[in-house]
Amino acid sequence: MGFVIVYLLAVAIGVGFYLKELIPKNFPGQDPVKVFCGWVLYYFFFDIVLRFMWQDLPTLSIQPYLVQNIRRRQLIRFLNVRSLFSFFNLLPVFLFVPFTVWRIGQEYGAGAMTGFLVCIFFLTGFNHFMILYIKRKTILNNWWLVSFCIVISICGLADYFGFFSLRAVSSAAFTRLLFFPWLALVPVGMAAAAFINNYYFLYRNLFLEDIVRKDTRKEGAEYAFLNRFGAIGELIALELKLILRNKRPRSLLMLCGVFLFYGLILYKPQYIASGSYGFLIFGGVFVTGLFISNYGQFLFAWQSSHFDGLMASHLSVRTYIKSKFVLFTAVCTILLLLSSFYGLLSWKLIFIQLAAYFYNIGINTVIVVYFATRSYKAIDIGKKAAFNYQGTGAAQWIYSLFIFLIPMAIYLPVKLISGYSWGGIVGLGIAGLISFLLQDWWVDWLTREFNKRKYSILEGFRQK
Amino acid sequence: MISVSNIIKAYGGIAVVDIPALQVGQGEMIGLVGNNGAGKTTFFRLLLDLIRANKGEILLKEKNITVSEDWKSYTAAYLDEGFLIGYLTPEEYFYFTGKLAGQSKAHVDEFLLGFAAFFDGAVLKSGKYIRDLSKGNQFKVGIAAALLQDPEILILDEPFANLDPSSQMRLIKMLKDLHEQRRLTVMISSHDLNHITDVCSRILLMEKGRIIRDLHTSPDTLKELEEYFKI
Repeated sequence: MGFVIVYLLAVAIGVGFYLKELIPKNFPGQDPVKVFCGWVLYYFFFDIVLRFMWQDLPTLSIQPYLVQNIRRRQLIRFLNVRSLFSFFNLLPVFLFVPFTVWRIGQEYGAGAMTGFLVCIFFLTGFNHFMILYIKRKTILNNWWLVSFCIVISICGLADYFGFFSLRAVSSAAFTRLLFFPWLALVPVGMAAAAFINNYYFLYRNLFLEDIVRKDTRKEGAEYAFLNRFGAIGELIALELKLILRNKRPRSLLMLCGVFLFYGLILYKPQYIASGSYGFLIFGGVFVTGLFISNYGQFLFAWQSSHFDGLMASHLSVRTYIKSKFVLFTAVCTILLLLSSFYGLLSWKLIFIQLAAYFYNIGINTVIVVYFATRSYKAIDIGKKAAFNYQGTGAAQWIYSLFIFLIPMAIYLPVKLISGYSWGGIVGLGIAGLISFLLQDWWVDWLTREFNKRKYSILEGFRQK
Repeated sequence: MISVSNIIKAYGGIAVVDIPALQVGQGEMIGLVGNNGAGKTTFFRLLLDLIRANKGEILLKEKNITVSEDWKSYTAAYLDEGFLIGYLTPEEYFYFTGKLAGQSKAHVDEFLLGFAAFFDGAVLKSGKYIRDLSKGNQFKVGIAAALLQDPEILILDEPFANLDPSSQMRLIKMLKDLHEQRRLTVMISSHDLNHITDVCSRILLMEKGRIIRDLHTSPDTLKELEEYFKI
């Protein structure tokens, strides 16, 4: 995550300083200031989306402080001020300030420049506190999340299809600002409103932050169909409960549901027609294997809170590893069936997905479990999933690289040797199937790998 | 039953557990006492193969724990919440544990009948997941689950610490009964010198990772321990 931030900041600084050259180059013949004005609101629109996904909520486990001699108002002020130290608040400064100072300051005078600067600062502030408020609301009620996504999608689509132009609005608003700098008071007012709203929301809910537990009666569940499978069935039932009863894996499951439709983007008609199956294979691996890659990246870490108990219980490591394979195969099969509707786009996709499916259950599972034995970071399953980088380490990133490369490494050579694209696909499927038939051997190997690093995993999982 | 030889576990060059030799026979009730940092929990983790020792070996029932996993079938333990599965109801957790130990649901239900008094109505059919239970009740779940596995070796880390007085008494009685009926080998740690001398036939006093005294409980033991812990 750190690298991403440094990278984005570097880009923002670079773009910010070269904006006065970049704009004339890309929009020749147009007034650079006008172009600039047209893009400002665009930025702040994407800023909202980015922040919603990435910005951290400043949380403070409040209980220890409530008993100290600190006023609630001070606590809230602390939360609010601390939240401002976010790199999202630096981005617009780096991006817009150089151009504003050099071009707008020179051409339209100090008044316009001040107006612009104030405007940029306070729009940033507005976005900042609005997003904090919305994010806090989504914690309390999932409908906020849904509504937010709908509103943002509608805005984005409306602009994309030209029903209304964010650029025209931005252009109109900021061109006016050039001549009437006092209009900058509008964003000041907006930011103040967002701040005050957020402040009072926190003030009312300061205690609630810790106590958002609905006291519904919890009933045990039993998955009778798993009883037949002995200890492995029991472990899978445990894992299903883990997924359904905890926030982070549950939202990951929903994410998987959404990703299932990624095929609509990945399976481009021109690829299907032209026979460039490489992209389609990637799509197939993604669609049928999304549970494996998403859930699998924290395979053991999901259970980090009770890993001590699992390892000391009446359970052999081999059975434990084997259960992961069975779970993956089962879910993968379900995903294959669900994704068969892509056959409506083209019958070819059915076979490509089948080959990808065999790759996933045969090879991908092995890779995932192997990387899991090298991941020592615990995660808190109570926290939400999207853009939560807790527990992510280098191993996860390397793993994602493998996911892209290995299917290609099988598909391309076979395609070249056989001379047919279909040859590559059949090759991928067969490779997967062979590996799948060797599963017991893989399980033995992974059990040994696991045992080599068992103590490191345990040690890591005890560290919360 | 338990045989420890030359075990050393060090963090950063400082030994937190250093036990040259320890033999525990079947049916012994061992009490581990010592101030915080004496290495009690680390020693338990070593016994359960949750930590790798720098040196030495541990045999449970003549089987080296790092070589085979057989010990898991006759050893049960409860050290802390890391043994509980928070998102299960207590019943589900018992069935899960029982199932791994090869027991039927009916057997688990029958076993739990005997715990009605110990649970005091707050554990079974509580309509809560384990993570929402109070600390004391979580401990009861963990202890019951350990006993449920019908072990030959039982390891409990500070079982009395989180229990109310009545439950402490019940637990003491349960342990004594089990010991009498089944010659269970027990290892527990505690800061409660009264309880531990009451339950255990042999007391190991730990200090800085070493067992500095190995006492067979006699009427004088409590006094001797109190003398040691006196400030």
